[in-house]
Amino acid sequence: MVSLFSRVWKHKLLFVMRLTFSISLFCVLQSFAIGTFSQNARLSINQKNISVESALQLIEDKTDFYFMYSALVVDVRRTVDIEVTNKLVPEILDDIFKGTDIGYKIDGRLIALSKNGEISPPIQQQKSVSGKVTDSSGGPLPGVSVVLKGTTSGTITDSNGNYSLSGIPANATLQFSFVGMKTLEVSVGGKESINVTLTEEAIGLDEVVAVGYGTQRKADLTGAIGVVETKKLREAPTGNFMKALQGQVAGVYVKTDGSPSGAATVRIRGGSTMAGGFNDPLYIIDGIPTTSGIEQLNANDIESMQVLKDASAASIYGSRANNGVILITTKKGKAGVNKIEYSSYYTVQEYAKKLDVLNAYQRGFVNWRAAINDGLTPSSNIYNYQWHREANNVAVLDKILLPEFIDPSQTMRPADTKWIDEVSHPGFLQSQNLTLTNGSEKGTMLLSLNYFNNSGIIKETEYKKYTGRINSDYNFLKGKLKVGENLSFSKINNVEIPIGDVMYLSLVQQPVVPVHSVDSAWGGPAPGMTDRHNPVRLIEDNKQNVSNSARIFGSLYADLEIMKNLNFRSNFGIDYTERYYRKMDYTYASGFLISDISRTTMSQDHNLAWTWSNTLNYKYKKDKHSVELLAGMEAIKAQFVTFYGSREGYVIQDNNYMYLNSGTSKFLNGGGGAANSLLSYFGKLNYSFFDRYLLSATIRRDGSSRFGKENQYGIFPAFSLGWRLSEESFIKNNLSSISNLKLRAGWGKTGNQEINNEAIYSIYKTDTGIDPTWDFDSGTSYDISGSDGGAIPSGFRKIREGNSLLKWEEATQTNLGLDFGLFKQKITGSIDYFKKDTKNILIEPPYLAAKGEGGNQWVNGASLGVKGLELVLGYDTKFDNGIELSLSGSISSYKREITYLPEDVLTGYPGDPANGKSVLGHSDLAQFGYVADGLFQNQAEVDAYAAQPGKAVGRIRYNDIGGLDANGKYVNKPDGVVNALDRTWLGDPNPKFEYGININLAWKGFDCVAFFQGISGSKVYNDYKHLTDFTSIWQGTNFGTRTLDAWSSTNTGSTIPMLTLTDTNNESRYSSYFIENGSYLKLRNLQLGYTIPKRIMDYVKISSARVYIQGQNLFTIKDTKGSDRYTGVDPENPNFAYPIPRTLTLGVNLNF
Amino acid sequence: MKKINIKVKLFVSLAALVLTQISCTKDFLNLQPQASVSSDQLNTPENIEGMVMAAYAELGNDHYTAPNSLWPYADITSGDAYKGGDGTGDIQEFNWMELFKINTPNNPLLDTKWYRLYVGVSRCNEALKRLNAISDADFPNKKQRIAEMHFLRGHQYFLLKTFFNHIPWIDETIEGNDFGTVSNTALTSKQLWEKIAAEFQDGVTNLSENQSDAGRPNKFTAMAYLAKVKLFMAYEQDDNNNVTSINSSLLNEVVTLTNQVINSGKYALFSDFAYNFLWEKDKNSTESVFAIQRSINDGTPKGRLDWGSMLNYPMNPEYGCCGFHIGSQNLMNSFKTDPASGLPLFDTFNNSDVVEGADFTTNSFDVRIDHTLAVPGKPYKYDPTFIYQKGWSRSGVTYGHFASMKEVQHYKCACFQKVPPFMAASKNTDIIRFADVLLWKAEALIELSRQNEALPIINEIRTRALNSAAKLKDANGNALSNYKMDTYQPGVNCIWTKDYARTAMRWERRMEFAMEGIRFFDLVRWGIAADYLNKYFAVEMTKKQYLKDGQFTKGKHECFPIPQKQIDFSKGLYKQNVGW
Repeated sequence: MVSLFSRVWKHKLLFVMRLTFSISLFCVLQSFAIGTFSQNARLSINQKNISVESALQLIEDKTDFYFMYSALVVDVRRTVDIEVTNKLVPEILDDIFKGTDIGYKIDGRLIALSKNGEISPPIQQQKSVSGKVTDSSGGPLPGVSVVLKGTTSGTITDSNGNYSLSGIPANATLQFSFVGMKTLEVSVGGKESINVTLTEEAIGLDEVVAVGYGTQRKADLTGAIGVVETKKLREAPTGNFMKALQGQVAGVYVKTDGSPSGAATVRIRGGSTMAGGFNDPLYIIDGIPTTSGIEQLNANDIESMQVLKDASAASIYGSRANNGVILITTKKGKAGVNKIEYSSYYTVQEYAKKLDVLNAYQRGFVNWRAAINDGLTPSSNIYNYQWHREANNVAVLDKILLPEFIDPSQTMRPADTKWIDEVSHPGFLQSQNLTLTNGSEKGTMLLSLNYFNNSGIIKETEYKKYTGRINSDYNFLKGKLKVGENLSFSKINNVEIPIGDVMYLSLVQQPVVPVHSVDSAWGGPAPGMTDRHNPVRLIEDNKQNVSNSARIFGSLYADLEIMKNLNFRSNFGIDYTERYYRKMDYTYASGFLISDISRTTMSQDHNLAWTWSNTLNYKYKKDKHSVELLAGMEAIKAQFVTFYGSREGYVIQDNNYMYLNSGTSKFLNGGGGAANSLLSYFGKLNYSFFDRYLLSATIRRDGSSRFGKENQYGIFPAFSLGWRLSEESFIKNNLSSISNLKLRAGWGKTGNQEINNEAIYSIYKTDTGIDPTWDFDSGTSYDISGSDGGAIPSGFRKIREGNSLLKWEEATQTNLGLDFGLFKQKITGSIDYFKKDTKNILIEPPYLAAKGEGGNQWVNGASLGVKGLELVLGYDTKFDNGIELSLSGSISSYKREITYLPEDVLTGYPGDPANGKSVLGHSDLAQFGYVADGLFQNQAEVDAYAAQPGKAVGRIRYNDIGGLDANGKYVNKPDGVVNALDRTWLGDPNPKFEYGININLAWKGFDCVAFFQGISGSKVYNDYKHLTDFTSIWQGTNFGTRTLDAWSSTNTGSTIPMLTLTDTNNESRYSSYFIENGSYLKLRNLQLGYTIPKRIMDYVKISSARVYIQGQNLFTIKDTKGSDRYTGVDPENPNFAYPIPRTLTLGVNLNF
Repeated sequence: MKKINIKVKLFVSLAALVLTQISCTKDFLNLQPQASVSSDQLNTPENIEGMVMAAYAELGNDHYTAPNSLWPYADITSGDAYKGGDGTGDIQEFNWMELFKINTPNNPLLDTKWYRLYVGVSRCNEALKRLNAISDADFPNKKQRIAEMHFLRGHQYFLLKTFFNHIPWIDETIEGNDFGTVSNTALTSKQLWEKIAAEFQDGVTNLSENQSDAGRPNKFTAMAYLAKVKLFMAYEQDDNNNVTSINSSLLNEVVTLTNQVINSGKYALFSDFAYNFLWEKDKNSTESVFAIQRSINDGTPKGRLDWGSMLNYPMNPEYGCCGFHIGSQNLMNSFKTDPASGLPLFDTFNNSDVVEGADFTTNSFDVRIDHTLAVPGKPYKYDPTFIYQKGWSRSGVTYGHFASMKEVQHYKCACFQKVPPFMAASKNTDIIRFADVLLWKAEALIELSRQNEALPIINEIRTRALNSAAKLKDANGNALSNYKMDTYQPGVNCIWTKDYARTAMRWERRMEFAMEGIRFFDLVRWGIAADYLNKYFAVEMTKKQYLKDGQFTKGKHECFPIPQKQIDFSKGLYKQNVGW
């Protein structure tokens, strides 16, 4: 044994040194060629009385072969004489073992020695098999892989579904597999023709899914991995396929709006770090990591998508896996398949529901009402009131007279503008997709092109996306070396309309303001109104501002089978985004808002990230053991450069003219850069025993340029175990209805380093000032000479206090899961429980102001705990009448709470830590404020109530919760005063649970999908309410129609405070009045499709065709009762976001 | 056996793979910050000048949420002005300050102001640290620049002191965790004043008499500021903000210091009061003792304009926004004069309201009225063709129409620039103008019972004012109001006792500096804020209803509260001001 090990060590070392030498070369970016070997190597040896051991070593030294044997079986101390010249290795071996019972078998570079007869049984008689593979409808299935079980040899069906294999053992078993189909095994058993029909399988246990740096059989997974049905992504009429994930994967929460570009916020298991920190998942597209711009990927290109939710699954991506990892593999060509796919859809979008705002008369009326309520003489810059008091002193409005013009310069006649109608129109969306694939045993290729255009429901918004992809691979060395690339290109043109402003302005701009003035200029605010823009002008004056971005995203890879089951893979990826934007600001006069500035700002950003990863992967399977080992390294570098130039003073305001060169004044420019890098090593072991006991372990060590020398590296281990109970005989034999039962348990650690690149450094910068409109000037330049004109000297200001001790933020996650399938997988499901604790959270907390400027410092401060439960259920059946029904649903829930914060930063978060109401134990997003406890109904109530500045009849009563005792200590007992001490926890915007329900029906070519999605228990801060309910908070704006139903002595049932002009009760304060139930249930998707029968399509030489009609967001159910009912339009999308439209889509998918 | 063999081989390959990579790591993960400098790189003479420049720049780092012109802190809190804007909710934090009673330590804009003032302190400290370390040989300006930094730091602390009373004293020796150990009550109020005085004393000692740069203080600037500090110190207050005594020796120092400034020959009153409020005249000012230097077309993206006043323009097409800082009816009325004597109507001014129209011919007025407040029907900013109209006001129902005019500039001024939707100008913001120095002297003299020496000073101010009507004419050349003012002539139109002189001096300060961000701190210094303001609220709320909740609590509202956030961040080390 000793000899064996020493030999192995020595020889392996040589081999390893060769390999690592090569990898080292990689590191310095040298070209690389792995040492070649050849079974045809010829040797000359002349050694007498040499031990067999030495002889074998000699052969290993001179060739790439290596030996494997047991010293108990092979007597290697035996001496032999070898005299050979220019002989092949087998010939030499024949010589050495002549006359012994030792035989050898060459497998790649491995030569195994053993007793004759123990080597694989004598090769049996070989024969040929051929046949045809079809799908359940009888159509031929091209591209099905037909493999001799237990080997890698096999073939692929041709375009007619035919295959042919020769030279196979008679007792062989053939495996037929095709993505999306159940893998079928057929014993050859002497047959020469085997025709099979593959049946579809949504997510089969044998399906191979991508996991970190490799693939795994779904049955063998031990981590919490959500597999996405990518078909659903393709037909979702949206600019971002991640939106279609809403409610589809338990534990994945997607928040969207309706903007054409398809913005979506994705949270896996509630995120892992503090609000404001980096909670986005990491996307790995064909091995290249990215965290942004996911919408630039063409959904049609996606072959598979996996969501690695827990640490044991994600930890192999340790450095950035805290928030989960979404693995995306793009499609490839298939050997033997030559196919053209064309798909297209057209969508009409419309406003689901608009907010009700006052018209011009109503706006005048509520102003009058408020003044009457305040005991004032109603007056207005716009409205002239004719009113009187009746005998009982009740004021009655007789008439509102409008002036001929509402502005002093007499250009705006009073109007009754419905601003929301002026800024919106039906939107139109289309997608055209063409995919060409081709492939042979020598390689495959895929070419795809996509055009997507979405002009949303806000006028002039438009998003155009062109994407192209080339994925190809080439096989060399009899398939042992595979070289390929995945390359995508995207170009996006987006019209930069300031949507948030437009949405807000359509609510607040007064209806009496006309869109245009009488002199064809813009309408706009008149005196007495708030200084807010005409939203139509904002749209019209920005529609020429188109941002252009282009992105190249892809990788080159080489995969070499070093020896059987041992693969080396090198993958070099780039992610290059370039954005060019020319923004033109036109002069305008819009009411009293006037700008005499014509300006062009041209800016450009360059964002380059490259990733280079090298992995060694070894798979071994023998009897009951299956082992997979992976080792690798990865280097990532990201660089960012930006610059801009601007000029003013354009004599013509036209986008053909307004380039920098034409500007005559205010020549300005600016620019900056940033860079960061990561270097990582990782390893993984998967082991399965008896196909039922599964073990997976990963470890990753990551270094980040964002941390100082001492803490540059973090180590992220993970372990997981799985037990496939259903493979145990006590279940197999006794509980046959259980087709799958697996217990999973995992634990792991992941990291986060998403902070400022320069957080470890104390830095100073020159600052020539900012746009002071909304931000505080923080400049360092000063007109010290008092000359007022010409360049002025500048200095430096401190930007940040460095923290050289910064280290990785770490999340530890434990996951317990159960997968089950009943009645031959008719019913499937899984349950996962997780607990995630993030510590050393990187925060840049607010600080004591006395430190002055640049006192901000990143620290490893907070801890956050998230725990949750996820449940997925599915039911598939086929009725006798041919109707196929598939139901699936998921529900997930999590709770997020801060478990630790340094004392001195507690005040940076909600709460009142000085009085025992710190955010600890609450979500960092928790809402904290006053409890609005209805309205004072009469003076007696007011008088009897605690001291509350501004309290009066019709005003909100705030709960008196607590106060200070004689010792100045806070006690939870009303103290007769409503003040800041009475603030308390009001709610949590994190939903209590999220759910989705899919209903799929299919019958004779028809298919129907209904998808419902909802959240429950989310508390929404409805900012809109400041404007829809109050005439006092922003006196100069328009208000919601809710103000018409405000409390009055004759409308005492109302919950809306009495109208007033002055907010003396400070009702704009953060209170439960604005906190509403954000729960909703939406019919996200309803689709009806029809696959046109093949016999019809055959006439037009189309192999398959499907047409469908689809509606999205057809209805929404929200809370409409109770004091916390949602009073806005869409609880999913509160406040001033781009409204989510209702859509109707017509689509077609064709295969040629 | 085979299994073991292979596993071991793989294990070894892993190990080797890991080991061989380490050599590559060092430089790969070592990335330097971009577009910035480190602290060490700033210790060169050129860069130290840069640090000094940054400390000056903070004077001009402005925003309408915390203006350096101080109008929200001293004008709307003194009965001179209303907040203005689009109703009480528009920057409601200023509305809380205006009404006192509803203001709280959680007012975020007071926290903003506190922070910005400490930014000013920190910039001085950053410069001082480096100045202290460099040798005179390497940096011949060392002493001068140190004195300048003390001056600027003294200015920031003067503001902190008058705003918040009890403040932590942070100098250049405080570093790292020490910041959290400096309490706002470590020094008594008196000790804080002495610290502030010492900052300016350093300027008096070390600054040269002449500075080539207009923006830098000289010896006399430091004397003037020191005089101001000593004047504030002279009104000694107890722990409840009551003025308990007036310190004569400090008053004498005020007289000495102001005399030195006056006799330096460096400063003089402008011949026309208007010039103080016009960029083109103010540029090479004789009246400005110390000012924030504003600039336009200076190579920075938006200029270094007076952002603190950018909401204070009216709503007409030439401007457009936002109608903040509106003169009160009380202030308007106070410009009335006795038609016979030409002196103020100390007791009866508020008996009737002056409104636009005939009131300006039937009453008689101090000339300064039309420099200070815009009145519908009268020219705006001295332009007879540019008539201010009622329609230019933003929220006339709530706040009336008397827009502030001193800080705004004519839209045709080369100093004026739109920053859509707002606008601003590069006119310097005076921190001390010479008239102030004169009136400090007068004030000290009166409190020293030397009111007869104060009389000519007050009359000098009045004489300049009554000679400043040249620009106050309509298109026909007629005066905008019926101006009738005269100097104080004891025995002729008044009896010049100490009390009378004090009343006259205080009135004069109001007329002279109305809407310039000064008044509230005068009221507090004199110890009369509570009485004065509650009387103001009682009457003014009948004219402007939103003031009905206005109430000043004596012993509390004389200073702003220590921002609650800062108390929290200090973990309770900071103590809240009395009454809050």
